[in-house]
This record gives sequence, C-alpha cells and structure tokens, in this order.
Amino acid sequence: MPEALLQTRQLRKEFGGLVAVDDVDFTVPAGAIVSLIGPNGAGKTTFFNMLTGVYRPTAGRVEFNGEDMTGKPPHAFTHRGIGRTFQNIRLFQNMTALENVLVGMHVRLKGNLFEAILRTPRVKHEEAAARDRARELLEFSGLRRKDRELGKNLSYGDQRRLEVARALATQPKLLLLDEPTAGMNPQETADFTSFVGVLREQQGLAVLLIEHDMRVVMGVSDRVTVLDYGQKIAEGTPQEIQRNERVIEAYLGTAAVSG
Amino acid sequence: MRRRIRAAVVARWWQLLGAVGLPRERWSAQPRLLRRFVLAVVWAAIALALVALWGVWKTSAIAAAAIVIFIAVPWYERLTIRGRRVGKFVVPLCVLGLAIGYPYYGTDMPQVPIFGPFPQLSTMVVMMIFTMMALGLNVVVGYAGLLDLGYVAFYAMGAYMAGWFASNQFAKQKLDLGAVGLYQGWTGFHLSIWLILPMAGIATAIVGVLIGLPTLRLRGDYLAIVTLGFGEILPQIARNGDNLFGTSFNLTNGTGGITPIDQPGFGNWAKEHLHLPAQYATAANFDAVFFWTALALVCIVVFCSMRLRDSRLGRAWIAIREDETAAAAMGVPLMRTKTWSYATGAFFGGVAGAFYASYKSGAFPDDFFFQISVFILCMVILGGMGNIWGVIFGACFLAYLDREGLSNVGTWINGHFGTHLDVPLYEFGIFGIIIVVVMLFRPEGLIPSARIAHEMHEGVHDEPLYDHEIAGA
Amino acid sequence: MAIDVPASAPLRARRSAGAYVTPVLAALFVIGFVFLLVKNIQHDGFAYFAEISFIGLTNGAVYALVALGYTLVYGILELINFAHGDVFMLGGMISGTMLISVFGLTASSSTGFLVVAILGSLAVAMVACGLINATIEMIAYRPLRGAPRLAPLITAIGMSFILQNIAIAWKGPSYISIPSVLPRSDVFAIGTADFTWDKFIVLLVTLPVLVALLWLVLRTRQGKAMRATAQDRDAAAMMGINVNRTISFTFLIAGGLAGSAGLLYALYFHEVRYDTGFQLGLIAFTAAVLGGIGNLPGAVLGALLIGFIQAYNEGLSWHMPGSDWTQSIVFAILILILVFRPEGLLGERTPEGG
Repeated sequence: MPEALLQTRQLRKEFGGLVAVDDVDFTVPAGAIVSLIGPNGAGKTTFFNMLTGVYRPTAGRVEFNGEDMTGKPPHAFTHRGIGRTFQNIRLFQNMTALENVLVGMHVRLKGNLFEAILRTPRVKHEEAAARDRARELLEFSGLRRKDRELGKNLSYGDQRRLEVARALATQPKLLLLDEPTAGMNPQETADFTSFVGVLREQQGLAVLLIEHDMRVVMGVSDRVTVLDYGQKIAEGTPQEIQRNERVIEAYLGTAAVSG
Repeated sequence: MRRRIRAAVVARWWQLLGAVGLPRERWSAQPRLLRRFVLAVVWAAIALALVALWGVWKTSAIAAAAIVIFIAVPWYERLTIRGRRVGKFVVPLCVLGLAIGYPYYGTDMPQVPIFGPFPQLSTMVVMMIFTMMALGLNVVVGYAGLLDLGYVAFYAMGAYMAGWFASNQFAKQKLDLGAVGLYQGWTGFHLSIWLILPMAGIATAIVGVLIGLPTLRLRGDYLAIVTLGFGEILPQIARNGDNLFGTSFNLTNGTGGITPIDQPGFGNWAKEHLHLPAQYATAANFDAVFFWTALALVCIVVFCSMRLRDSRLGRAWIAIREDETAAAAMGVPLMRTKTWSYATGAFFGGVAGAFYASYKSGAFPDDFFFQISVFILCMVILGGMGNIWGVIFGACFLAYLDREGLSNVGTWINGHFGTHLDVPLYEFGIFGIIIVVVMLFRPEGLIPSARIAHEMHEGVHDEPLYDHEIAGA
Repeated sequence: MAIDVPASAPLRARRSAGAYVTPVLAALFVIGFVFLLVKNIQHDGFAYFAEISFIGLTNGAVYALVALGYTLVYGILELINFAHGDVFMLGGMISGTMLISVFGLTASSSTGFLVVAILGSLAVAMVACGLINATIEMIAYRPLRGAPRLAPLITAIGMSFILQNIAIAWKGPSYISIPSVLPRSDVFAIGTADFTWDKFIVLLVTLPVLVALLWLVLRTRQGKAMRATAQDRDAAAMMGINVNRTISFTFLIAGGLAGSAGLLYALYFHEVRYDTGFQLGLIAFTAAVLGGIGNLPGAVLGALLIGFIQAYNEGLSWHMPGSDWTQSIVFAILILILVFRPEGLLGERTPEGG
C-alpha cells in the first residue's frame, strides 16, 4: 500500500462563528491524482490554503511526508515539496514568463546576497543552470516562445499554463491545482486533462485538483473526495462518486435524488 | 485617457511635419544614426539658444553641447567586444568621466537660465551623499515595495558611528587604528575612516534588522507609520543622549552633537609614493577629494544595486512587491527576504551618514529629522521607484535644489517679478507638490523602469490572503 | 470567490502557547503603570495628581476629536490620511484668525460675546476644514483608488507637506498666539486641584460634537451608508449607495471634527504653528490604533488613555521620562500595539472570509 504523501487529521478551520472546514480526514498517496469536488462555498479553497500554510488551522494536523506541517509558513510547505496554483491567477504580472518561473525556483537555488554582489562563479553557474531549467519548464508547458512576455500580456490559457510552470519550478512532490480549467473551452480542457496525466507519468508527481468540470475529474482522477459545507461527505473512485446519493443531493438538491 | 491625449498630440505633430515635407514614414526610413544625430543637434541648438538668450553665455556651453551629442548619437548598445555586450557601459562610463572631471571644469560652465550657476563642489559632495541614501532607500521601497518613512534613523546611526569612533567622544579611551591628522594629546577612539565606513554600514544594518523584526510583518501602511516612529525615536535619543535615562553616560553629547570628527586620509607614505592626499582636512582641494571619494562610494552602491537587482534575491524582492502571497507560495520566505532588503538599505544609509559626518566633521542631532526621510523618498519617487539611473537623477536634482537651487530660483523670481519670496522656506511644500503631482500623473517616475510603469497604471494584485504572523520566517 | 480584505487592523492568528504572551505582557504593563502612578501620588500628593489628571482628560478630549477623524477615514478607505493632522492645524489657525481678527476677542470680553465668538469660530472652522478635507480627497486620493495601496499613502504625505507650507505662507514659520480668553476660574476643586473653566469648556464643546457624531453614524441614512461602505464597498455600491459621495461625506465629517479640535486647541493651548498638526496627528493616530482603528468609541478611549499617559509623563515627577520623551513613548505604544494586539483595545478580529 503506497505510503500516504499528504495526510490531514481532523483538519478544521473556523472564521469567527463560521466553520469553513469541519474536521476533515484526508489522504493523498504518492503518485496519485486526487480530485476534490463540492458545491461552491464547500470549503475547498480554504482546505487548500491550509494545505499550503496560507491559513493556519483552527484544529487538526497536516502531515506531509510523515512530517507535521501544521501552522508552518507557506514557504516551508514549498520547501518540503508542495507546489500550488491559484484559483484567481496570481502571476507576477509585471515580470516576464521566464522571471515568473525563476521566482518559482527561489527555494531550490542557493545564491545569497553576498554571492549576488560578487557574482561568484558558483552563482553564475547556478543562475545559468536555473535559466536553462526555466526554459525547459516553459517548453514543457507549451510556452517556449513566450519567455520574454510580461505575465499580464499573456492570454488566459497561457497564464494558466505559466502558473503551472511556475509551480513546477518549485520541484514539488505534490502539486495542488485550484480550479485549473476554469474559463477554458472544451479543447483546452481536454488538453489540460492529458497534461495532468503527463505530469504524473513524466514527473512522478502526485496531483490534488479542485475541480468543477466533471470531464476532468472523471477523466484523470484515481480518487475523488467530495466536500459539502466543510465536511467530507463521500470518497471513492470517480465511478463510485458519480452514483453516490449524498453527492447528487449536495449538488442538485434532495429533489434530484428522490425525483 | 492620458494615452489618447498623447496619441492625439503625436498624430497632430506628425501632420504638421508632413505638411512641410517630413512625414513620419520618411523620417522612420532614415538610418538610425542620422535620426539620432538630427535629434541631438536640435536639442543642443535649443539649449544653446536658451543659454544665449539669457545672456549667460560661455564657450564651455559649446563644449558641453558637443559632448552631449557625442554621447547621445551613436548606438553604443550594439557594441560587442569578443561577444560581450560592452556597449551598454559606454554612456555610463562617459557620464562617470564627466563627473570625475567636474572639479576641473565646474566653475567654467555657463549659467543655466533661472537656476543659475552649476553647483559648487561642496554641494556636489552632498548630492553624492544623498544619492547613496536614495539608492539605499530604493532597495527597500523600489525593489521590495516596503514604504520606509524612517530612513533618517539609518543616516543618523551612521553619523554617530563616525562620531563615536573617530573623535574625542569617549575621551577615557585611547585607541588609534590608522587615523590621520591627530593633534597633540589626543584621546578617544580614532579609527581610520576607511574602517569606519564599513563598520557604520554593518552596525546600521544590524539596527535595521532589529527594527525590522517587529515591523516587517506589518501591512504596508502600518509599516510606514512604525518606521516613521523609529525615525523619530532615534534622533530623539541622539538629542537626549548626553544623559541617557539619568545615568549621566554621555552617548551622543546631546544637542551639541559630536564634533570635531576625523576626516579621511591616506597617510604620508601614500602621499609620497601614490600621490594620494595624506589628510583630506589639509588638502588644497578639500572639496574635490571629498567629492571624488563620495563618487567612488556612489559607484560601489550602484554596482551593488545592479547586481542585486538581477539576482535571486532581487527577483524575490520584486516578487514580494508584486504579490506577497504568491511569492510566499513560491517559496520566498517573506520575513527573511524583507529583512535583507531593509538591512541592505540600512547599510548604504549608514555608510552615507558616516561619510557625511566625517565631511562635516560633526554629527549633530539637528541634522536628522523626519522631513529628511520624506525628502529621500521624494527622490526615489521622482526618479522612478526601482530604477537606478532615475533615482540618481532624482537625488542629485533634489539635493541640488535643497542646497542651492531653490535660493537661486528665489533670487531669480524676486529679481524678475519684484517679489520678496523666500523660496527656500517653501522647500518642503514644493517637494510635497512634486510627490503629489508625480503620484497622480506619472507614478512611475521621470525615468522609470518599464516594469513599474505597467504596474502603476494597471494596479497590483496584492490583497493579503492570510494571517500575517504565519508569514514569519 | 473573492477574499475580502477586512476593513480593520492587520490580522493575527491565535497561538496556543503564544496566546498568553499578550495578556501577560499587558498585565505587566498595567501593573507597572499603576505602580508608577501610586508612587507618584505618594510623592506629589493626590491633589496634584488630580490636577494632572484633569489636564490629561482635557488633552484627551482634543485628541479624541482628531483621532475620530483618522478612524473614520481609515474605516472607509483603509487609508491613513497623513494630512489629517495638518487639516487640524489649519483649523487651529483659522480659529485663531476668527477669534482674534474677526471677532476681536480679548481677555476682557463679556461671557455672552465669548460664547458667540466661540460658536461662530467653531462653525467656520468646522465648515472650512471639512471642505478642505473633502477637496483633498477629491483631487489627491480619489484618482488613486485603484492604484497599489501605498500610492495614496505617499500622496497623503505630500499633501501633508503642502498644507504645512500653506500655513507657513499664510502665517509664517513661527507660532501664532491666541490670547487667553477663556476664564480660568474654578468650576470645582478637589483640595488644591482646580478644575478650571477653560478645561470645562473644552469638554463642553467636545461632548456635543461626539454625541452629534454618534447620532449621525448610527441614526441617519448617511451614517448607515458610511458604515456599509466601510464594511464592503462593492456590496454598498450594489445596494445603490453612491460610494463616491459617501466617501466625500466621510471626509467632510472628519474634517469638521479636525476643525473643532483646532478651535479647542487654539483656545486652550494658545499657540499654533505650522508643525503642530504633525506632532498631534501622530499622537491622535496612535490613539485611534490603540482603541481599535475603525472603531469610534475605541478612538475616544484610546485618546483619553494617551491623554492621561502624556499628562502623567509630563506632569508627575517621580521617575517619569519627561516631556522630551512623550513622542517616543507614544510611538513605542503604537509599535507595541501593532505587534501584539493590532486590533486595538476595542477592535474585533474580523474573519478573513472565504
């Protein structure tokens, strides 16, 4: 049985009186592709934010690779190997695509302030290697010829791709994608779905997706977890979830189940 | 809307030119060298005409025009030697050469209309010092996007470092490490100024880190106010430091300040063998040697700024400025990175302060007040946040205004309009107007980096997403 | 799914063990401060202490008016209006001019005339400062609504300097003095501690202004619009609230408050200079943060506390740092609050949303 790469125990987030995430236990095995679905407001992004250190959980634990990560700052999560994209694209708008990816490599590079000023051979070498790797990543993401474009000047689809490239630059073991196909047309969605498969095969990544588009969810996930009102209401293979009554009820209402 | 106006004006301009036989296509078709030459000559002619009309003609004006044309025309950027793009160094090196030569030709330059004569050497020294500080603040505000309103604290810290270690302040001690020009029966710490400059920088950087610990986790506007607070507290300590908390330990000599402070020098051996001045204090060209030293320091600061901007750390700073949350998600440790920017800015401020104290031979609490922090901020804003050359220009121009420019302008206005305005009195109001006008109409500054121009006109996506304390590192 | 940035102080997460740090430190501070006060009472006598307390109360009232202006504007725009203190200063100068030159008030004027002069100057100062403040918003801050957050702050700093220079141009760089026109006789006395009429008049003017403000914010339509816009600008706009007009109105009110504070300052402290606003503005801003930025009663509470702290620092003699250190103490309070309890005393930690 594959070792769980990511595990949450009774993870909870409250905002004042509102319980956004309600004691959720969750696992992502290494190399798996898991989708997290649920109606709007179910707490998915909040959950993600706790998995990346952006929010501090009110209660519960987050364990990554066996290490307790609860409450650590975001860059620690990145350092340990969790990369992410954002639901509303958060690129560095006024940096070029190449620079965006280079920032993603920050945590894997080592040059410090003094080496930067002195331009030691090690730093020169590291920077050159970083640029090469960044270009490779851009190529992998289909952005080869756009490396000098400013982030804000890229098309929507390219911006999404750049976000993924940037997240890949952090050399993650687990990639969190927050509604990656939002706003994409069917062709782009299909391309993206196969791209996620490629990520797992070529890079050995585990992927956790928040998705609304069922074609993506059904097409690529090993497992699907469903949240509603902050609670995990179902978990299983895509086919099992499709037939699950509670899930249907959550999305479409009780009438859909009974009627 | 501004873009539409500009586009309309440009279109009208080309219509006019087209009517006299020079439509845009024909102009664009000319070789670049010719176009640049024509433009440079036109501008030079206008400048010379102004100077002649105002009756402040000197033949050096033609020399100046010729030099400008020489620098502006050929497209040096393309120049490569053995595959390395050396062309981009040509213009800066020419400017540097002009700066180095300034003590020799500065007094021969023609008077500029309204502003009067070119700045004196002593003013130039101060301009260089403020340039150093503006470049330091540029790292904090321009690169990392942290609004620091207490920069004067670093300036003061540097000055007092020089005061403590190059004067008679701690008269119970007696230590000489390379100082020059000590008088008979000296006491106190007297380290060589060349030692003190880096020491002051490091000490100030440490102070910067200490100040940063509680402050840098705060959101932008609160950071500004708190840095303002520190910028007020430190000079206050300087003013009351002769009797610190009633212990009668004289740290800063209170309102009298610490004076005299040693000045730099290279010693007698260097004078004989390398023709360097033994003691700046007794050098015949006192202001000139200080100016050249300041210029060298500025070059070092510029060098460091450029290297940092294009490095991993510089990218991290700009990422923080663009979108802190995304930067953190990409692995940039926020607190640590911000602290580095703060420490770097503090370092340069400390060096500048120490040098200034040595030049003035004194560290006086009256030299350090809040308005200076805003003054330096104004330089960075006017020049363009993040843009090194713009900041240098902003710093030199505003420092010149502060020292000489405003009085000259005032004299001119009073002379021509018969008023009795004391223009220097309105100095900070004028700087305030500069700040407001620049922020409203050209927030990217006069010579911006392209990056900031985009940012300012489109806005920045920087809604903080999370609890700030988690961001500590 | 937008995360709305709450219109309040920077957020801080709860820590399990660290949650105790703040209350313990606060307790230590309070104990230390009370100890200091008790020793001073023993040293100087209770009557003197009472007299200093009266001073603190009066100062606090003036600070409260200015602090409310800061907090109103911050609540609605999340902008620290750097120029607010200078609007107050102009209010002081306008009041001084009104009282002396227009009304011709002197120490020997009759009470009736005094009342008329004060009310008249109050009205003029409040209206003038309100208009100045609203104008500044319209020309300097409104165009920058969409710009990165630091842009209007920097502009505010520029405006602050401009206002100070206007004062220099108008009245010169030295103090203008307003003769002591308020009666100095006792309203009541505790032993040898006199609570004089001039202090009482300050409170007499402040309290109705505060009450009027509360009524405005809580009971009127405009007040409701202000509160709605402060909570969620887009939602307020969607509910049909004219956001621009509401913001202008808020600046108008804040300016009015600053104007009233200016009048009181002129009457009570007798001297106004171009940089008076800068000093006092920082104190008032700290008061607003201490009480909880965006929180109206908090601003008043914070102002009173700072008023007392300042009075005790400057008036008492047993181991008090003295007036040189007032500003540093105020800043230290600001820094400590922002680090340890950024929501202030009365503020709430509003949820991040999501």
